[in-house]
Amino acid sequence: MRLILIGYGVVAQSLTKILTVRKQEILKRHKMHPRVVAIVDRGGLALNPKGLDLEKVEATKKKYGSVAAIPEYGSPGKTAQDIIENLDAEVVIEATPTNLNSGEPGMSHMEEALKSGKNVVTVNKGPLALALPALSEMATYNDVHLRFGGTVGGGTPILDFGKKCLSFDKLIAIEGILNGSTNYMLTEMEQHGTTFEEALSEAQDKGYAEADPSLDVDGLDAAAKLVIMANWFTDKEVTLKDISIKGIRDIKPENLKEASERGFAIKLIGRIDEELKVGPAELRKSDPLCIGGTLNAVKFQSEFAGDEIIIGKGAGGPETASAILRDLLDIREKM
Amino acid sequence: MKIIMKFGGTSLNSADKVRNVSRIVKDHSQNNQITIVASALSGVTNLLEKLSKQSKHNSKKIIANELEKFTKLHTNISKDSIKDQKIKEEVLKNILSIINELKSVLEGVYAIGEITPRSRDKILSFGERLTVIIVTGALKDIGISAEPFTGAKAGIVTDEKYGEANPLMSITKMRISEILQPLLSKGIIPVVTGFMAATQTGDITTLGRGGSDFTATILGAALSVDEVWICTDVNGMMTTDPKIISDARTISQLSYSEALEMTVFGAKALHPRAIEPAQENKIPVRIKNTLDLTGSDTLISNDQSIIKGEIAKSVALIKDVAMVNIGGAGMVGKPGIAAKVFETFAKEEINILMISQSVSEANISLVIHKHNLENAVNTLELSLLSRGFANRINAEDDVCVIAIVGAGMKGSQGVAARVFKAVADKRINVRMIAQGSSELNISIVVKEKSCEKAVMAIHKEFDMGKS
Repeated sequence: MRLILIGYGVVAQSLTKILTVRKQEILKRHKMHPRVVAIVDRGGLALNPKGLDLEKVEATKKKYGSVAAIPEYGSPGKTAQDIIENLDAEVVIEATPTNLNSGEPGMSHMEEALKSGKNVVTVNKGPLALALPALSEMATYNDVHLRFGGTVGGGTPILDFGKKCLSFDKLIAIEGILNGSTNYMLTEMEQHGTTFEEALSEAQDKGYAEADPSLDVDGLDAAAKLVIMANWFTDKEVTLKDISIKGIRDIKPENLKEASERGFAIKLIGRIDEELKVGPAELRKSDPLCIGGTLNAVKFQSEFAGDEIIIGKGAGGPETASAILRDLLDIREKM
Repeated sequence: MKIIMKFGGTSLNSADKVRNVSRIVKDHSQNNQITIVASALSGVTNLLEKLSKQSKHNSKKIIANELEKFTKLHTNISKDSIKDQKIKEEVLKNILSIINELKSVLEGVYAIGEITPRSRDKILSFGERLTVIIVTGALKDIGISAEPFTGAKAGIVTDEKYGEANPLMSITKMRISEILQPLLSKGIIPVVTGFMAATQTGDITTLGRGGSDFTATILGAALSVDEVWICTDVNGMMTTDPKIISDARTISQLSYSEALEMTVFGAKALHPRAIEPAQENKIPVRIKNTLDLTGSDTLISNDQSIIKGEIAKSVALIKDVAMVNIGGAGMVGKPGIAAKVFETFAKEEINILMISQSVSEANISLVIHKHNLENAVNTLELSLLSRGFANRINAEDDVCVIAIVGAGMKGSQGVAARVFKAVADKRINVRMIAQGSSELNISIVVKEKSCEKAVMAIHKEFDMGKS
């Protein structure tokens, strides 16, 4: 199976690492021989139709900052647009940074890939949050698969788990803690009485929150995940503009303390029922959904099976890369 | 309000009419966000169809000749409908450059000596491309800001079924709202070509005859408008053909399903495929007369309510049909005969309009389009007679279908009896009857010579006329 890798950040680097280290196992156990024929990063392109030597690619990236510096196979300055349509490959893995304003450049990459009949695995939430119904239609029309297991819950298979929970059952509601950084901040503020600003800079120091934290603290990241879940689990065709969103900037340590004394915790909750909503809400501390730290948790409420909860790490390079591998395997089985 | 206004070719085929349309748009543009959908001038798509066929084997000279007439038609209307010299020159320049493009496409087809469905769609789309230029010019001429769009540029993405393409609705909705909504918010009126769209890779497709109505409801769904106005040359959908009955009246309200039944049975005011995007997104559609905009019209909406006492809303006459009877004792108790008939017809691409079978199974009657008759009888004979499934197949080509439509028929008793009595009182024999289990319509077959009398009798029986 030939792969094109667009974006070579933490997640994609973890992926190539796993592909190198576990090469034999993937071949033996899963009968899959993934060959990365092209990698594009900000500096340019590395391309070898026979499959790139991933160890060399990793070393080049580390040394020179771009895969394009690799001798013989590198082309500095080239972009994804130059290769997606015409290079032969089965799957395009889209791992460029999330942009919730225009979805670019990921949006164009995914459209190009689907139009040219390539399967797409993405860990980039932007295009999905803005246009998942359209992208799914494009995939169906071109008879290819669009998979995005790593966009919700990182390595925790929330989408697969939920699909199983809800097959043959009627969904009543889905609710969950979908953003690790804000959950960390709220946990800190509750336990140590720190202010919002202090908790934020701590989260940034530890690498849990981005330099521009608005995606997290204004609830946009959670809302993007809610869009993905709503399209995946229900027949709703929705995008980011259909979600009512409120972040956690207004939460004071006093609010958390007061709630705590009553046996409640304030969490940033995304909820799907008749409405689609992201915002701070109180959870009873005894509720299994009420988890602390950077964890994610999602509860599926269905008519017959009742409540089912999945908890796991919501982010991280190797974790998210493992979700990409699951998606690849899924596509491989359907091919 | 947010409105789509679709103008058909008959609303645009003279300078006066173009000016009338631009005045209508101006009058409504004060308090509304308007998007216009324009068809080709009447006759133009037929002419293009003819040209596309001819260019296969005719000389460059014929293309040049026809194109000259074509150019004159469009430039004359522009010259007479636009006063401002600068706007006029701009419009004429654009028209000539589009016609030049058409010329090279036609010559290309001529040179290759072959026309593909794809090139045919490209050729057919030129009529609409020219009208949007004219309409945009006429609007600018009276001080309205407007911008012309092809359906493709406006964001309609379809599959690759050239000639009768289907929109990829999720992609289309997203694109249209991205492209047109910002203009509407700025008070600019998009003028969009009806009928034409493009595939995901940008190849031009057409939506089939009557496709401009389809364009209008697709845009309506994408922009979540309050109403789609189909502006045509009649006052909405009528209880029956006013040429048969002078007493025919505009139906003021129809549900989507009723409208669908009526369009399938030949109500020309709206294309049947146009109903789906409207129904799915609950967008009301109004059928209006361009020359009598404030007069009576038909509103098609999600409103299922049935006016008390109103049982049937319309009665349509469908001519050019034929009835085929298949009979024989060999058919009794033998499963699969009907399947055999359908299969035979499907293979020959013959549409079945009506079907009925007696409980004894000794007879199946079908109604098909008259032009399929010889082919149908022949293939049925080959597949049924020779194998002993049936021993007689006969055809009647002097019949017609009368279709009575109305949601009020559902659950009300004696409707069929009233139909029969009304017709019997005029001494007309009913040859065949069919009613779907939806109870939205009853269709009967009568001899052609008495069909108009039958329509009148039914129209009167159900009080459809002017009160």
